[in-house]
Amino acid sequence: MSTEPALMPLTAVAKAIAAKQVSSRELVQSCLDRIAQWQPRLNAFMSIEKEAALRAAGEADAELARGKSRGPLHGVPLAHKDMYYDAGHVVTCGSLIRRDFVATTTSTALQRLKDAGSIRLGSLQMAEFAYGPTGHNFHHGAVHNPWVFGHITGGSSSGSGSAVAACLTFAALGSDTGGSIRMPAHFCGVTGLKVTWGRVSRTGAMPLSQSLDTVGPLARTAADCALLLGLMAGPDPEDPTASTAPVGDYMAATAASIKGLKIGVPTSFYVDDLDADVAKILDEAIAVLKREGADVVKVELPDQRQLTSACQLVLAVEAAAFHKRWLIERPQDYGPQVLMRLQNGLAIPGVLYLETMRWRGPALAAHIAATSGVDAVLAPVAPVAAPTIAESDVGNAPNAEAVIQRLTRFTRPINYLGLPSLSIPSGFTPKGLPVGMQLIGRSFDEATLLTIGAAFQRATDFHEKVPKLP
Amino acid sequence: MTRPTPKDIRAVAEAGGVAVEAEVATRIANSIGPAFEGFEPVSGTLPFDLEPASFLLVQVAKVSS
Repeated sequence: MSTEPALMPLTAVAKAIAAKQVSSRELVQSCLDRIAQWQPRLNAFMSIEKEAALRAAGEADAELARGKSRGPLHGVPLAHKDMYYDAGHVVTCGSLIRRDFVATTTSTALQRLKDAGSIRLGSLQMAEFAYGPTGHNFHHGAVHNPWVFGHITGGSSSGSGSAVAACLTFAALGSDTGGSIRMPAHFCGVTGLKVTWGRVSRTGAMPLSQSLDTVGPLARTAADCALLLGLMAGPDPEDPTASTAPVGDYMAATAASIKGLKIGVPTSFYVDDLDADVAKILDEAIAVLKREGADVVKVELPDQRQLTSACQLVLAVEAAAFHKRWLIERPQDYGPQVLMRLQNGLAIPGVLYLETMRWRGPALAAHIAATSGVDAVLAPVAPVAAPTIAESDVGNAPNAEAVIQRLTRFTRPINYLGLPSLSIPSGFTPKGLPVGMQLIGRSFDEATLLTIGAAFQRATDFHEKVPKLP
Repeated sequence: MTRPTPKDIRAVAEAGGVAVEAEVATRIANSIGPAFEGFEPVSGTLPFDLEPASFLLVQVAKVSS
């Protein structure tokens, strides 16, 4: 065991606390010590709830001493993206408009993690209303990448990516509507799971685009993500879109071999205009998977640009509809870029929006047909490693949407198709910036992605690297 | 459907109850225009009896296959 408990992965820490090898209070204190060191540089936390967390840890330790365990996360401190309603707590959604909003209910995903015994450490920064892929926030400041300060974390789950990478929390919930879990995972060097649309209830999670929103974890390992998904997945009477599709044994999946699994690598789109460092790291990742026994083959996918465009149109309309009242009453309270992007949705006619929604079924069917011979598709998350905060701080400049589209072009097609995708740390650039790959699976088959991700992590150590303060 | 002009956008936004200035309409046209173009090959080609919920059927069909 590491001498610094905060450096342990979630699955190990959950076992250690159950075996009374470490106390909940020690874990909370270890996280708080690191937060005190890193938060001034990262700006990853929205709120840090030191006294309440220590008190809850003491209660968890006392319960365990009496022989009572609440569940697999008993006494484990976690912090989540500040968009998950938690009754009695302020949930800012990264905004000025909801700066003082106190939730009266608790989100289903969060409640399930609480029921498993987790402790609230605080809340994490995010893009305003989860509408931004870089990690900039006009109201609360940019979140920094712990690997190289001054570089972006990716968004919109910016604090989740930064805090997990710096080992300030053992895992964090993010949300992925157009890439908002996978991009912070890629840019910050952590593991991020975008689930199948409908796999995890969205009740009590701030909405951005109801047809695209997904709730999922960022953590250090695929096994950590598997543990959290197993606790959160499944139907919810409060969310009719939460699927009744069978929930897999995700932890068991992480122990399986990838021998004989077929992984498809796209012949176009995802390999176009890649930065040389990213391309090299992906080639090396493919070589690792081959060595571990996977059969890597070429796969030709349908036109991904059409999917990206459809995703952009759906997102723009649905986000504008959610925000319409505030667009009328409080436009001055949005950051310039978020206001600009919300206004984009006003331009899209209803008939065009409905065409994008009607095309989803045939588009998914075409993808399934194209990938019928493989178990998963491997692709880059973004064409580049993390750019600097300065070069990507485009606000509402005329080129802002083009900059955003370049970053999100490899993630959006997957949201439109509602497919699961796992982002795995795959290497570092010569400058020391992490690079990830995404494994894209079949609907509701997160288990296969976790199998491949865990096998890759048994063969590599990128996920074990920890950034250091200068 | 072709890319909208700033004039189109002002009309649609106003009809939707959120009027925008000419400068904002121009910015929106530049921002969202490429998405219109990207989706143009699909727009207007979908069969009559295709409804949005078909997506859920395709999702579930894959699970049980």
